[in-house]
Amino acid sequence: MANNVSEATRQAGPSIREMSGDYPKVRERTFWSVLSDDKYYKWLLLVPLLLVLIIFMLYPLLYCLWYSFHEFGMVKAATFIGFENYRDVLRDGEFWLALGRTGIVLVISIGAELSIGMAVAVLFNREFKGQNPIRGFILLPLLIAPLAVSMMWNFFLQYDFGIVNLVLGLVGIPKMSWFAPGVGLYTIAAISIWQWTPFSIFVLLAGLKSLPRDSFEAAKVDGAGPWYTFRRLTLPNLAPLIMIIVLLRTMWLVRLFDPLYGTTRGGADTELLDWQIYRNTFVYFDIGRGSTLAIISLFLTMIVCGVLFNQLMKALSATSE
Amino acid sequence: MKRVLFWAAMPLVVFTFVSPLVWIYLTSLKTNADIYTQDLVRMFFFSPILDNYINLFTKTVFVREILNTLIISISSTILVMLVALPAAYSFARYETGHGHLLFVTISTRMFPAAVAAIPFFMAMKGLGLLDTRFCLVILYLYFNVSFAVFLLYGFFREIPVELEQAATIDGYGRIDIFRKIIFPMIMPGAAITAMFCFIFSWNEFLYAFLFTRNIARTVTIGLASFWASGQVDWGTMAACICVAILPTLAAAWFMQRYIIRGLSFGAVKG
Repeated sequence: MANNVSEATRQAGPSIREMSGDYPKVRERTFWSVLSDDKYYKWLLLVPLLLVLIIFMLYPLLYCLWYSFHEFGMVKAATFIGFENYRDVLRDGEFWLALGRTGIVLVISIGAELSIGMAVAVLFNREFKGQNPIRGFILLPLLIAPLAVSMMWNFFLQYDFGIVNLVLGLVGIPKMSWFAPGVGLYTIAAISIWQWTPFSIFVLLAGLKSLPRDSFEAAKVDGAGPWYTFRRLTLPNLAPLIMIIVLLRTMWLVRLFDPLYGTTRGGADTELLDWQIYRNTFVYFDIGRGSTLAIISLFLTMIVCGVLFNQLMKALSATSE
Repeated sequence: MKRVLFWAAMPLVVFTFVSPLVWIYLTSLKTNADIYTQDLVRMFFFSPILDNYINLFTKTVFVREILNTLIISISSTILVMLVALPAAYSFARYETGHGHLLFVTISTRMFPAAVAAIPFFMAMKGLGLLDTRFCLVILYLYFNVSFAVFLLYGFFREIPVELEQAATIDGYGRIDIFRKIIFPMIMPGAAITAMFCFIFSWNEFLYAFLFTRNIARTVTIGLASFWASGQVDWGTMAACICVAILPTLAAAWFMQRYIIRGLSFGAVKG
């Protein structure tokens, strides 16, 4: 369609066209007119993005793959060792521990965020006075730097003078050391839950507001109880949104790093996968092993997200029927 | 019954999410004695001081950190928009790559941060670009571009194609269409996207931590440095947190309507 517009008019702009009112019939295929053909134009627009993707996706990926097969400690030249790194990592108990902890944090955080989010969303699904400012207040934590959030909570949860321990003391609960081994992991999960529950609340609330009204009225007429309605009507309708929350939160939680830095620094049995990659690469300068861990982590994320993505697609097509 | 439950639970929910923020702002106005006290009355009724803020701005390099962060965030946001706007337009209008390419773009977001950090650390080291603002600008371009493309894709999809077709029939060229039709319509969406990119850059920690030491250090690095040495200066740290999160709190308040949409990559309109 666009190549109907001639080169001459394009250069002259609309003003001359308005005066003369006629279009030149003969068109030459100049460089620009070829490029502005739909077929090429759409790719022309993508050139910067493709460059960025090649530099920032392909290059790091190939680099990590390459060095995961090498022993490379930055000091001497890399030597090819085949699958040695992978074997070492998979035999290393620390790797499995970090993987397990990442799994625990994932399950706890997403589970808690979804259930609290759902409860609050159902409760908030109504018009009430002052709903906009209240909505604003609840959204506040979402955009704060995760590092700032974790340092803030680190301060509140201090053993001696932390406000949490003091308030708990009022009710007679003895002081807790919140970042001790065995507890720290759950504290970190809780911090992340505090920051991200508002996300679940408002995604689910958006879903609740857009539910088809007539089927709910029909259910009411048929005498369905509230729990039955929730399970059979509300939940299936919200399935795609729940999948979106799970997918996005998985993507973010797998690379949880800042909250660790702001609290335990990977100590006290809280080392997660991303921290282990950081420690191997940038503290021990073992590029080979770090790359191996990064590749494994990427591989696992891709599998999990691929499965979730498929589920999301299934849920989407199920609700549109 | 449900009404009672609502009015009982709603303040609790608000309290849960707001009180920690209030408390950190209160803490930033306290002397050390008031911070370390175990006396609950004294925790709430104290005489506010500004020493922590004065310390923050005079005794640390906080001003430089703020300036660095501003420069880095703004330049990387501009770069991101320059790359993402045409790409998102192409995806939205022509379905370029039939959705596969869009999926590849979004999948960069799944990469563990370390996958890019390792090669780029070596590359930047080789180029002598460690601890420069330029290096962070480039990394944040990578960090934000897939997000921006996805969000803008949604906004472009909302502009009716008929408008452009009408403009083409009226004899507008490619550039004119972009300038006169699309740009005014995408402006709000682009502004929201840019705000998000700015905030994500502002909040970013891992890359800043790995790639900068002194010269180009950002606000989050300054924040982390309070937690680095043995004796933690909680008062000044609280003041630092309060200033560092101020822009994000303001953004959260003013962009309410778009936060969910932004964070869910445009999947949920919120």
